[in-house]
Amino acid sequence: MNLASSRLLLPRSLRHSSPLSYYSCSSSRRLLSTTPVAAPDGYTASNDEVARLATNPLKPLTLRDLVRFGRPPLSPQALLASARFTREFLPIRLCRRIVALRNLPFIIVSNPHVASIYDNYQQSLRIVQSFPVSHPNTLAEEVAFTEMLIDIVKTHANTIPTLARGFLECRRYISPAEATKFLDHHLRARIGTRLMAEQHIALHLASTTSSVTNNSPIDYDGGSDTYIGTIDTALQPAHIIESCASFVGDICELRYGVRPQLRIDGDPEVRFPYIPVHLEYIITELLKNAFRATVEAGSTVPIIVTIAAAPESAGITIRIRDQGGGIAPEDIGQIWSYSFSTFDQERSVAGGGNGGGTRDPAGDDALGRFNEVVGAAEGSSIAGLGYGLPLSRAYAEYFGGSLKVQSAFGWGTDVYLKLKGVGIGDFGGPGMEGLSGHHDDI
Amino acid sequence: MYSTCRSRSFQSSAVHQWRSSVVLDSYVEKPARPISLRQLIFFGGRNLDERRIIDFANYVRSELPVRIAHRIRDMQKLPYVVVTNRHLSEVYELYYSAFDAFRKIPEIKTVEDNDNFCQVVKRTLKEHLTVIPSLAMGVLECRDLVPPEELDKFMNRILRSRISRRVIAEQHLALTDTFNSPFHFPDSSPHHHTGADFVGEVFPRCNAREVVETVGKHAQDLAREANGPDSRVPEIQIEGHLDTTFPYILSHIEYIIGELLRNSIQATVDRHSSAAELPPIKILICHAPQHVIFRVSDRGGGVPADELADLWSFAKGPRPQARLQNFSQVPKMAATLQELQKTSHTHSRREGQDSSLSTLTSRPPHLRLGMGLPMSRVYAEYWAGSLELHSLEGYGTDVFLQISKLGNKSEQLNLDGV
Repeated sequence: MNLASSRLLLPRSLRHSSPLSYYSCSSSRRLLSTTPVAAPDGYTASNDEVARLATNPLKPLTLRDLVRFGRPPLSPQALLASARFTREFLPIRLCRRIVALRNLPFIIVSNPHVASIYDNYQQSLRIVQSFPVSHPNTLAEEVAFTEMLIDIVKTHANTIPTLARGFLECRRYISPAEATKFLDHHLRARIGTRLMAEQHIALHLASTTSSVTNNSPIDYDGGSDTYIGTIDTALQPAHIIESCASFVGDICELRYGVRPQLRIDGDPEVRFPYIPVHLEYIITELLKNAFRATVEAGSTVPIIVTIAAAPESAGITIRIRDQGGGIAPEDIGQIWSYSFSTFDQERSVAGGGNGGGTRDPAGDDALGRFNEVVGAAEGSSIAGLGYGLPLSRAYAEYFGGSLKVQSAFGWGTDVYLKLKGVGIGDFGGPGMEGLSGHHDDI
Repeated sequence: MYSTCRSRSFQSSAVHQWRSSVVLDSYVEKPARPISLRQLIFFGGRNLDERRIIDFANYVRSELPVRIAHRIRDMQKLPYVVVTNRHLSEVYELYYSAFDAFRKIPEIKTVEDNDNFCQVVKRTLKEHLTVIPSLAMGVLECRDLVPPEELDKFMNRILRSRISRRVIAEQHLALTDTFNSPFHFPDSSPHHHTGADFVGEVFPRCNAREVVETVGKHAQDLAREANGPDSRVPEIQIEGHLDTTFPYILSHIEYIIGELLRNSIQATVDRHSSAAELPPIKILICHAPQHVIFRVSDRGGGVPADELADLWSFAKGPRPQARLQNFSQVPKMAATLQELQKTSHTHSRREGQDSSLSTLTSRPPHLRLGMGLPMSRVYAEYWAGSLELHSLEGYGTDVFLQISKLGNKSEQLNLDGV
């Protein structure tokens, strides 16, 4: 909540001042590939090495992997083990993305946006590989490693919108279906990769008092002892729903002058282990849709959020029910597609070629502006691109959950978010293995 | 008729009466001729006269044996061990008798011919009342012999075909009734509106709220009968577009809503047995431009995650033995409840309509068959609708039934899924 509010207060120029900030595409390629940390010893991954690493076996990331080093504060040994685990598997994941990009048609990767992402991945791989295998072995090395991770996480913050813009510009040369498939795969793979990096960063922050804290890109609640890195082992969905609702309500009030009411029923007390930033992102997206529909339908009926807890902590279901008029049947087929194919068509580069052109990086339709302001955990970078639902579903499905939308056109919409929980308190109860990244990059 | 069918099928499950396949072959070679909704209406309405009645009679006469022949051939392709299952064997015999009966009827030339034909049709419809439970039991018993997916496909096909045959048969009976009624004057029949709310004899205008209220009360009564007169039943609350009407086959919509409410009531009663008050079942009626949507929300605890995957399967799913046990009580009731139906239950308004559904609808709610949802989905999808379920495990269930407004589509829609 605090994080989100503070983002809201940032001037727009600042919010876009990530390393990927740009206005003109023509000369942006070099600019885009700036990387905060240079590879210390000039190490370069050869093409062969990328191909070899990419074929290394890779299991989907599981919550068990994330908690295997124990509850923070970690002992130096455990912290180093976590770092080495990340050091071992991060390059494989990066290589797989590099290979996927390399297999795209040449004309696509020549696009400055896509090329910048390709460069980012190559660069990140170089940096990680510059750490010797089976390191870090000392706490000093570990600090350097963590700082490097933080830089990588930041560098890749805008990957999806940048890729989407690239594909948008290339839409003459790649079918929407192919582009969607690539983006979807990339996005899902990226969830695991980021999680792996962020988990170590969070474990580091919770286990040491080193100075990298100020530089952290992630929302880490260091004061709570229910956290294991990025995972809150006693996450209370009602709490997140309330804070997201209050935040989205603020935006609504600001933009529309009204604040729809929201009621939580079912089992508001329930707690389960999950990654708060993921849930926060999903809930914010879903509430944005529900609030906006309610306001635009002129409805005063409260949005009802029902929390259901399955027996034996098997998981939770959250139903968000609004009376905002539902979704027209002709639009229902579109809700899961990345709207880059239709996004801002009028304003995008007329030739659709790689020459680029000058345009506002943010979406400019009404929803786009709304989304842009409301952009949550994933960062405002995604905002305005109509990514909310497909990305939310990707997050939900990552650990075996689901997201379904049911519309009664002329009345309202019901959204069903299912998330699996596990007995994480003992670091690996039954069902833990099942809780893996189903759509992970394997 | 009912009892003879049963005893015949039970006398020997291993040896079927030998029949030459040549005759069947010649019918299987003929494609079914689907009828469009528009044609279905056209035969009735203000166009109803002797020539049209006889034309339609001959269409039904030649169409029924062809459509049945295709399903018999379907069954013949199943493994021997499956068709010799006593329940499926019973269906097989029923189908073959009906096939023989219909194919031997000579061309219908007079109104008298037609009246005789209608007698055969009525008799056959009644004989086949037990087909659905028999099929369902057969499929359950054979689920270890054939991949369940194949059984489900078979089941879907045979049920859709059954709907298609019964619709044209019942349409013909209804037209003949209208034609024979002393009040029938061409061009003046009050039944034959052409508005979007009314599509011919088989699709009367259904009032969504009335359907829910009638079926709901029936389901509540059945629950009280089963659980005792002092037992509690959840209240049924209706919200949304309460004056929604739409053309549909009444027995189909009543069957589907009935199954949904039966599930919701029983789940609510089971879950809140010790609570002071039962949470109500909430039904939303939403009138969209092309559809009518019913949303049934209960707080019966939802569907366990491990049962969700098999929810729409006839062959899979938990507790097959218990379900078979329950099934075995349904066919026995078919004949008697059928009688009851006509006098005591208001919602079987038209004689000859798919009353095997009423039989199922009238079974006690604790007789769990595990086929209410898959059956309802077959019926919903047959008329270009859909049925979806969302479980909030630990809380309750939402089911969405979407009905296509057939009246709007009569021009282009070819719904006769033979």
